[in-house]
Amino acid sequence: MWDWYYAFEVLPEIASALGVTIGATVVGFILALILGLIWTLLIRSKNKIVTTVADSIVKFIRNTPLLVQLYFIFYVFPQFGLSLDPFTAGVIGLGLHYSTYLSEVFRSGIESVGPGQWEVATALNFTTKKTWTRIILPQAIPPVLPVIGNYFITMFKETPLLSAITLVEILQTAQNIGAGTFRYTEPLTIVGLLFLLLSYPASIALRQLENRVTARYS
Amino acid sequence: MSFWELIASMLGQGLVITLLTTVLAAVLALVLGFVAGLMRLSKNKFIRFLVAIYVEVFRGTSLLVQLFWIYFVLPMFGITMTAMTAAVLAIGLNFGAYTSEVVRSGIQSVDKGQIEATIALNFTRVQRMRRIIIPQAFIIMLPNLGNQLIELFKSTSLVALITLTDLTYQANVLNATTLQTTQIFTALLVIYFVIAWPMTKGMKLLERKMTEGRM
Amino acid sequence: MSEPIVKYNNVTKYFDDLMVLDGIDFEIQPGEKVALVGPSGSGKTTFARLLMTLEEITDGTIEVAGDYLWHEKDENGDLKPASTDHLRKVRSNIGMVFQHFHLFPHMTVLENIIEAPVTVKGVDKKEAIKDGKEMLDKVGLLDKADNYPAQLSGGQKQRVAIARALVMKPKVLIFDEPTSALDPELIGEVLDVIKDIAEEGETSMLLITHEMDFAREVADRIAFFDAGKIVEDGPPSEILYHPKSPRLKEFLERFMSTQASPE
Repeated sequence: MWDWYYAFEVLPEIASALGVTIGATVVGFILALILGLIWTLLIRSKNKIVTTVADSIVKFIRNTPLLVQLYFIFYVFPQFGLSLDPFTAGVIGLGLHYSTYLSEVFRSGIESVGPGQWEVATALNFTTKKTWTRIILPQAIPPVLPVIGNYFITMFKETPLLSAITLVEILQTAQNIGAGTFRYTEPLTIVGLLFLLLSYPASIALRQLENRVTARYS
Repeated sequence: MSFWELIASMLGQGLVITLLTTVLAAVLALVLGFVAGLMRLSKNKFIRFLVAIYVEVFRGTSLLVQLFWIYFVLPMFGITMTAMTAAVLAIGLNFGAYTSEVVRSGIQSVDKGQIEATIALNFTRVQRMRRIIIPQAFIIMLPNLGNQLIELFKSTSLVALITLTDLTYQANVLNATTLQTTQIFTALLVIYFVIAWPMTKGMKLLERKMTEGRM
Repeated sequence: MSEPIVKYNNVTKYFDDLMVLDGIDFEIQPGEKVALVGPSGSGKTTFARLLMTLEEITDGTIEVAGDYLWHEKDENGDLKPASTDHLRKVRSNIGMVFQHFHLFPHMTVLENIIEAPVTVKGVDKKEAIKDGKEMLDKVGLLDKADNYPAQLSGGQKQRVAIARALVMKPKVLIFDEPTSALDPELIGEVLDVIKDIAEEGETSMLLITHEMDFAREVADRIAFFDAGKIVEDGPPSEILYHPKSPRLKEFLERFMSTQASPE
């Protein structure tokens, strides 16, 4: 049923694909952070059209599956001459999808900063840019850091979806091994364990951060 | 095929499977979530420990890995099942783990004074849970449960990867046969959105209805 | 005098290492109204919460209507911790009105009142509604029967909470600072309802309060708590006008100076 020898034999190959998985997570997340902030600012814009368009795009992305978005980027973009390798397509898909969630997080963070802070900034004659960078964001971001961290872990666990657009991350590696040997038990279990091994300590650490944040900000 | 013919073809083949998977998995997740969430508040340490393992394993590993594991690995141990059963089981177990956390924190966020009131009125523990705590906790949970339902619905697209013939699977089949890639995947996105968007709105409406005048 | 309805025997309560009740003996007679006064942290609230079983007793025993509350006798006649069933049986004699009302927010006023009779006592629903409406009429809120608690003022909420406790027909009713959470202009309506109930006379009352005039008017007896002990205990005329212990004198002086009596 379970072959330890085989398990140890395939472990290094699967583990070596972790680089791709983690790489996709990190790059995707950076993209999500940047795009998320952009959505938030666009939605807060005074221009009604900009607000409506940005809000609609965010809603559309949020209400459709990541897997289908990945297919769209990977298979449809080339129809318009934009061929992307699986890693790039995957990272764009992840980043775009999670940017809509992070935008929501940023929004709630910004809204939690009281109107008094804006008034103070005006009274002290801050520029709009300085108001954001010196007053609003430094107050808005720390309280929502645990939520942002949670999305990082969630995104990490979603990376196996990139195997569907032929990216050879850890799940695809395990499947390739399984297809060759007709033994899926060990490779697939190892993939599961690797995810658990990385995400569980991360979520414990986040819970501690959350406790610290709650203690400080509420 | 025209755009509308493509949509019709996908809907005709895959819609029922997508919706059926959603409904069955959502029911399983809700039941599991409530059972596990309540067990997590048990006085018995061993029960709490067992549930914690279930929750952490299913939250800590990826849904797609769980789906593959149930569909490809369990048969090695003599447990074979249809793709549909595997899909419902994997999604239900996965979302059940998340739901249990929603249930647990919902119950814990009911005002402690409510417990004192039920002690003063001599409720049993079961009566307290059923009549006072859960009804209030449920309202607190609703926004989260609504979000989870949308996430669950979107996640059913993964079942295409274990050959269940849902909307996404049908789109892939059509793509291979017609090569009308742009129209097919655009249509697929639109179909998912047209189902998910009213669901989001519906949950918001339900939320408002249930809290009206009460909280 | 008849058998006491409540009897504290050498009751001690610790929160971790902190002693809040120091070996208290105390009796309440059937129908007697006792006001508990004293500085905050003196133990009066814990004293009452032990009777409602909201806090666990550390040492000593409490008897209610001749039964032990926190204990029961084993086959040898020795005391052992009470089973849940025993606790609930004895607890059914006690009711409580809370400072913060603790109404059930998901139920209407009438539903709040019939919930415990129907669910806990198994009273027929029609009968419970009839009793409940009578009780609501008594506290002057019959017209609010179908409202939710969130739609009521604080004073109205507390009157509903009183009605909710009364329909369970407790032999002893605890009031834990029933007007402390209310706006000043709403205190009167709640005190009036409590006075009405007190005048009916059947229910014993334990009133934790800072309203000295109210205590004088309603209570048969006032117990003054300080540092986990009952320092003085007697009729209002004695406690309020002829205090013996320096601690009580000090307490009353401070009290009178901060809260000038309207009368």
